[in-house]
Amino acid sequence: MALDVGRGSRSRREALWGYLMIAPMVIGLGVFFYLALGASLFVSLSEWDILTPLRWVGLENYRELLSDTSFRRAMWNTTYYTLLSVPLGLIVSLVLALALSTKVRFRNLYRLIFFLPVLTMPVAIGVVWSWIYNPDFGLLSQLLDPLGFPRIRWLTDPTTAMPALVLMAVWHGSGFGMIIFLAGLQNIPREYYEAAHIDGASGPQRFRFVTLPLLSPTVFFVAVTSLISAYQVFDIVYAITAGQASDTLRTVVYLIYEEGFVYLRMGEATAIAWVLFALILLITAVQLWLQRRWVHYE
Amino acid sequence: MSKRALSDHLRYGALHILLIVAGLVALAPFVWMLSTSLKGASEVLSATPTFWPEAWRWQNYLDVFEQVPFGRFYLNTVFVTVCKVFGQVLLAALAAFAFARVRFPGRNVLFIAVLAVMMVPSQVTLVPNYILMKYFGWLDSYQGLIVPGLFSAFGTFLLRQYYLTLPQSLIDAATLEGCNPLQVFWHIALPLSRSILIAFGVLTTLWNWNDFLWPLIITNSTDMQLLSVGIAYFQGQFVSNFAVMMAAAALATLPMVIVFSLAQRYLVEGITMSGLKL
Repeated sequence: MALDVGRGSRSRREALWGYLMIAPMVIGLGVFFYLALGASLFVSLSEWDILTPLRWVGLENYRELLSDTSFRRAMWNTTYYTLLSVPLGLIVSLVLALALSTKVRFRNLYRLIFFLPVLTMPVAIGVVWSWIYNPDFGLLSQLLDPLGFPRIRWLTDPTTAMPALVLMAVWHGSGFGMIIFLAGLQNIPREYYEAAHIDGASGPQRFRFVTLPLLSPTVFFVAVTSLISAYQVFDIVYAITAGQASDTLRTVVYLIYEEGFVYLRMGEATAIAWVLFALILLITAVQLWLQRRWVHYE
Repeated sequence: MSKRALSDHLRYGALHILLIVAGLVALAPFVWMLSTSLKGASEVLSATPTFWPEAWRWQNYLDVFEQVPFGRFYLNTVFVTVCKVFGQVLLAALAAFAFARVRFPGRNVLFIAVLAVMMVPSQVTLVPNYILMKYFGWLDSYQGLIVPGLFSAFGTFLLRQYYLTLPQSLIDAATLEGCNPLQVFWHIALPLSRSILIAFGVLTTLWNWNDFLWPLIITNSTDMQLLSVGIAYFQGQFVSNFAVMMAAAALATLPMVIVFSLAQRYLVEGITMSGLKL
């Protein structure tokens, strides 16, 4: 009996320590996430400029978004950005990882070089790339002039602005995916390649029937996470436009920032954020459902 | 030369060409940044741009500090990043160890509540957190920059995965010696998890150093500005002096390049874990 009592109080003491150790995290997330989440839902159902009292409007903000041209434009811009940047980024980072997974010389040096853009501060990227894209003095104009190309205002011309942003984003982000792919490639057991070699599989066949299926969980992970972050693109847009995004480059999060913190329309800003959240959830769910068709888990 | 050896040579050559071209593309903007940062004002805007600066104008790097309160931005960024990284690592490790190895009622439900945080884009809670800062009187302050960002659900998840793999015998032995769970964490788990803590720490250093939207909305005085926002602000103001802006961009990137060169292994490990274990 005495032993049991001892054990009981010991487990109670252990539980107490447990609560104590998780307390900072749980309280912090409780305030800055869960409390904020509830408040966010409430704000999205109101009209509020912070300065005057909040006014309940129900679903009005959401209803207005349906017919709001600037929201639709931002939605389309972001989707366009995502559809261009995600596949391109996947391909570039996969090709870089495949090239570096061989026993090529200077591997570590190349890895460092490809990773440098990931380390660069978005505003620094904006400073440099807006200069590269400068129609009069930029690097791109210098390269294209001798070939007889006309001067293009890359970032203000509506047809080139988004592709120019995507090019910059792929330059910036591919190193991150490359590292994850390199890890995924390392986890493929050598025996599979040896077996394929003995069976007489050619290089492309080995890639198609060994590398790709075994790497598919990694491809899936990179695809899902880069899609989620592409839909939230903001920093580089702000940086390349110096905070003056045109209609062609205004993305959803940029619109949230503008509505909330430039025009002080907190209700609209928050409603847009909830729509974005719902959209991201939906896309992720679709991807999870689709993965059964092409992702192979061992 | 046999056919086989020839095709191997060709493939190897193609691989090298691919890597060299990709490497040049990756490096070109940096080279351009450094070269422009050393040019004089007239050379920057010359009709026939030069690649190599005619006269190396190191003065541009000093001008950054004179024309802009760059030193202040720098110190602010270092201070905020260091506080956030140490806080995030410590709080995440504490919670992760408890979620992995300490038994208490409601543990799974609470852990799922922590995981759920990772699913929601941060923009959803942006406005309420801004209001909260206003209410606390933390707008335009270090507390406002640091405190809301101290709680990393991702870090908790990542470190818990590691603490689950610690041998139970180690924990039992320490408990028999009379250690309470906090002491087991501090004396046993923390030292053993050094490398994963550094991996998470380096990864989050990169994120915090470059963080932009939160500092953009909650700071407004020049004194509280971080590099990311401060440079963006002055980019809007002094767009004409490209050479100085380039020098600022180079100086803002330098610390991350140093961190990466020193901790390359850990950062790669951190990214790898975030990719393989999620």
